[in-house]
Amino acid sequence: MQHLLYIDPGSGSYLIQAIVAGVLGVAFFFKNIVLMVRHFFSRFFGRKSKVD
Amino acid sequence: MATFQRHPSSYRDPSGFVFYKDNGLYRQVNKIYRDDFNALLESGLFDRLVKQEKLLHCELLRENLTGSPDWFCTLKPEPLRFVTYPHEWCFAMLKDAALLTLDIMEEARATGMILKDATPYNVQLHKGRMIFIDTLSFEKYDPSKPWIAYKQFCEAFLLPLALMHFSRLPLQPLLLSYPEGIPLALGRSWLPWKSKWQLNTYLHLHLNAVVTKEQQRSIGVERGAFSAKKLDNIVRSLKEAVTSYTYNGKDTWSGYYNEASQRDDYLAQKKEIVTRWLPSLPAICSAIDVGANEGLFSELLAQRNVPTIAADFDHFSISQLYEKTKRDRLPITPLLIDFSNPSPAIGVNNTERPSFLDRVHTDLVLALAVVHHLAIGKNIPFESIVQLFRKLGENLIVEFVPKNDEKIQYMLQQKKDIYTAYTEEAFRTAFSVHYRIVEEALIGQSGRTLFLMTPHEA
Repeated sequence: MQHLLYIDPGSGSYLIQAIVAGVLGVAFFFKNIVLMVRHFFSRFFGRKSKVD
Repeated sequence: MATFQRHPSSYRDPSGFVFYKDNGLYRQVNKIYRDDFNALLESGLFDRLVKQEKLLHCELLRENLTGSPDWFCTLKPEPLRFVTYPHEWCFAMLKDAALLTLDIMEEARATGMILKDATPYNVQLHKGRMIFIDTLSFEKYDPSKPWIAYKQFCEAFLLPLALMHFSRLPLQPLLLSYPEGIPLALGRSWLPWKSKWQLNTYLHLHLNAVVTKEQQRSIGVERGAFSAKKLDNIVRSLKEAVTSYTYNGKDTWSGYYNEASQRDDYLAQKKEIVTRWLPSLPAICSAIDVGANEGLFSELLAQRNVPTIAADFDHFSISQLYEKTKRDRLPITPLLIDFSNPSPAIGVNNTERPSFLDRVHTDLVLALAVVHHLAIGKNIPFESIVQLFRKLGENLIVEFVPKNDEKIQYMLQQKKDIYTAYTEEAFRTAFSVHYRIVEEALIGQSGRTLFLMTPHEA
């Protein structure tokens, strides 16, 4: 049983991670589109795309 | 069976433990961790991280040094020069430790593994860079589960960084009070309202604090499956948050050397005297620069390959020095230390993390233009200052600044002059109790004097 105690710190964070991951899924979907568009145009205008 | 001594901080994880034996430091891997450890080696992750200088190199020994029936194998880690703790790090060191942890998490994910904990105590400064030291933090990844170390990362890394970023204040002492991480509910209340406008900060700190609090009230939340994509998004978002936080703490002492060097050729002469004295000392293998500022004299020692702890309470100076140390891979350990209150021992039985003074004993102590700050700035008697220096190391190069010096006169404009005992004679008397004065030299026309001292016992 002793080793189960070690798992405790993260066990309470399931719900928040599910919510955060849901929001991030949407946010990164749009962010990736913006980054792709920026990258596409940067080829024509010679500007370095800012991928972060 | 030869005896071994378990490291006092190595008790949390049943996967193994760190121990001392015959003056060597080892890590035992227990049978319970066999599958994860084999996966770490067989996936090539261990070798890759060591090669990238992200993970401390360890030698694998097939010898049971403890005689424990739980033994699976033994590791002999590459020795660290000096162990430091997050409450002694500048912002950039904590930020680099956070980014390193996330980098390793990404690398681990790519090989089907994951980090099972995320604490700054898993990171140390080694050869000028932050490096991960806990070989047993890796485990095989189960895509149906969220990141077990998420909350720990938020409380121990993200929140302190966010607090310093938004407050523009050095808040390292908080990490001393909360070594496991600042509780989200508490830390969140200190964040300004505007921090909610940053999506990553809002999600991982504000929303996290609220949801965690609510969840504690309702036990038994239904759990659906998690996914690797969700986890990767969380790590990416944490990385964006950490990267966006900045703080260098530019304040009081910034530009001290620029200002100091304008005074006559004070710094050049001081450097010349120290350089002249160094060869006369017995082999110096380690040093500490007390009140190092931006580390001019620490660099002087580093250039001679002397590993040097550069300690100062000024955040900006230590930040600058850390960046230089990192860039040039200097053997310097830049640390935020207030010598009127050096880091105490903390943790279980107060033995888990030893005090700063218990960790440091060097061959040479440099105390340049610092005694008057302790004696007049902090009212500390010469007798206590000399005890401090003696605890820090053997030989001593110390500067005495007379009371009529313009800097002391400036300090005395803001406080009553109760320092009748602050004289060169009293200084000599106090220091002579522990040291023998070997050399002394006036620094140009400054009126200040440098002393080279060796301890009586030597």
